[in-house]
Amino acid sequence: MNIFTVLLRKEIKELLTRQLVISIAAMIFVFYVIGKSVGSHSRASGASNSIVVMDLDRSELSARLLKAMGGGKTPIKPSAFTGIASAMAAPEHAAENSFLVIPDGLARSVEEGRPSRLEFYSRFRKDASGMGPAMAASRIRKVSALAAAEASAYALERKAPGLPPAFLRDPAPAEEYVVIDGRTEKVPLGQVVGFIQSQSYFFPIAVFFIVILSAQMIMTAVATEKENKTLETLLSSPVDRRLLVLSKLTASSIIAAALSVAYMLGMRSFMGGITGAAESASASAAAAGPALIKLGLIITTQGYLLIGLSVLFCILCALSMAFILGILSEDVKSIQAMLMPLMMPLMISYLMPIFIDLSTAGWGIKALLYAIPFTHAFMAPQNVMMGNFARAGWGIAYQAAVFAVFVTLAARLFSGDALLTLRLRLPGARKKAAAQ
Amino acid sequence: MDALKISGLVKKYGDFEAVAGLDFSVREGEIFALVGPNGVGKSTTLKMISTILTPTAGAISVFGLDTVRDAHAVRGRISYLPEEAGAYKNLSGHEYLDFMAMVFLRDSRKAAEAAAYGARLSGLGPRLGDKIKTYSKGMARKLLLARAVMIRPRLAILDEPTSGLDIVNGYEIRKTIKELAAGGMTFLISSHNMTEIEFLSGRIGVINRGKLLACDAPAALKSQFSTEDLEEVFVRLTQ
Repeated sequence: MNIFTVLLRKEIKELLTRQLVISIAAMIFVFYVIGKSVGSHSRASGASNSIVVMDLDRSELSARLLKAMGGGKTPIKPSAFTGIASAMAAPEHAAENSFLVIPDGLARSVEEGRPSRLEFYSRFRKDASGMGPAMAASRIRKVSALAAAEASAYALERKAPGLPPAFLRDPAPAEEYVVIDGRTEKVPLGQVVGFIQSQSYFFPIAVFFIVILSAQMIMTAVATEKENKTLETLLSSPVDRRLLVLSKLTASSIIAAALSVAYMLGMRSFMGGITGAAESASASAAAAGPALIKLGLIITTQGYLLIGLSVLFCILCALSMAFILGILSEDVKSIQAMLMPLMMPLMISYLMPIFIDLSTAGWGIKALLYAIPFTHAFMAPQNVMMGNFARAGWGIAYQAAVFAVFVTLAARLFSGDALLTLRLRLPGARKKAAAQ
Repeated sequence: MDALKISGLVKKYGDFEAVAGLDFSVREGEIFALVGPNGVGKSTTLKMISTILTPTAGAISVFGLDTVRDAHAVRGRISYLPEEAGAYKNLSGHEYLDFMAMVFLRDSRKAAEAAAYGARLSGLGPRLGDKIKTYSKGMARKLLLARAVMIRPRLAILDEPTSGLDIVNGYEIRKTIKELAAGGMTFLISSHNMTEIEFLSGRIGVINRGKLLACDAPAALKSQFSTEDLEEVFVRLTQ
């Protein structure tokens, strides 16, 4: 067995403790349980997802409205009550939160060209939490749109009998075209945006967690070896010190990647349970499929390879920086504070592109973001989808250069006195040390 | 040939001079003890000999090899046991010895033999199968000592070798060191235990504030200070 394998095995054994495995398994389990229980809660609370309708008009129009609203996903429950207060107070509607009153004389008003009202009531409970109120608002918006369309059709049939109501409502419907890199396709922008977001929804979170996990691991590994003085024994051994650095970097990367996969599985199960994100993403892609392919938005194998390389170098950059921070750490307790110099650029490169359009951003912001090697990994899927392969390639080259600089610095620090004598005390670390 | 030769050794940390011009040598097969109060540069000296720290000035030669210029070759001839050293807590005793034997010897067959020898030396028996985090301080120290000598280095550098050990275990370790020295292994030891120093070492180097105050056989030092007590020699030299 070669010495690198021996060192790597030792590093993995030291990092992959039973506590770590148990905590990750527990995290996946908690995500899974929350996702499942929220999903089943939503299904079980189907009663409160419906709309109770009091039809006081009992006309042809009100019958058409009920039928049109019933054609949507929201269950419509007709009620015999004649007043909103008595309906809300009724025990059989105790679990209901959404009510609609179709007023008496609605059909007559529409036929005579006088405006009328459909009254939607939403019961907002004092102890309401979770996504219930937001879902109720969305439900009422959809149902009221269906009812408005049907009432409009009813009025148009009577006022302009020779023309189809759909034409009268929207005689020049909008057609949406999306243009990417000179390619034009007729596809709603919402579908394209939805597809791009669905493809990159988990990606930045995964990269963020991989970077944080691996950075913490390597810093702990270095600081623990310093604190336990096991490092002094290793440094006095006839092993090339670059191998010691490399084995720690490799072991941390392997464990971080494995943990991130586990984390993503848990997160996917969680999100799937809550929003059915996976299904809606694939449905969106399927609907706009041919147009997305023609626009070049479907990522090819080469595209995935570029993204993978960018993520790999992002992790390696973070590991080499964290390695140096580990060398400078006072002890294991100070690691949280020592992570700050790494966390700040990571947060900037993760959050800023979410809120800022980099294509129109000022040079200062662009320079700041592109100087941070992590930004290139966060932007890689978008660059690849948009056909900016050169930008993705240059990003990887820049990340590789940053990694080379930091890993050389780490190896030099690891080979010199600094490893045992240099200490960086951040304000937070000092306070913690003083408290202890 | 001298196993170790130190000339004009200086180590500075900023303005602080931890070692201030140290000169001494250790003969092959000798057990040499470096003694002195806390914080006078003993451990710094041992770290420089072990190639972990670089001297600010002066030179260290281990079997004729310079510790800065030929650091890698020096590391192939020494074994260093730091004071209060720990071991990898998630490895078992056996795994630790196997790992260290491979790291130092780089040959599977030699490493297996060394690890088996280390296992015997440690005296930990079946507990070697347990994780190191379950060991007492004394057990961990025995394991680390076994690790330090199992590879049969030409020069073993031991910083406080028996600290944390009970009387019986301390005695056994001292006996082992004597036996290994008789077999040709050279020892450089730092200790505060004067009884241990007197029992083990052929010569003693007393240092204070980074400088060598005296260097001779225990009997010669006692005679020089007209006392039968080595501790008295130490006190009179360092005060």
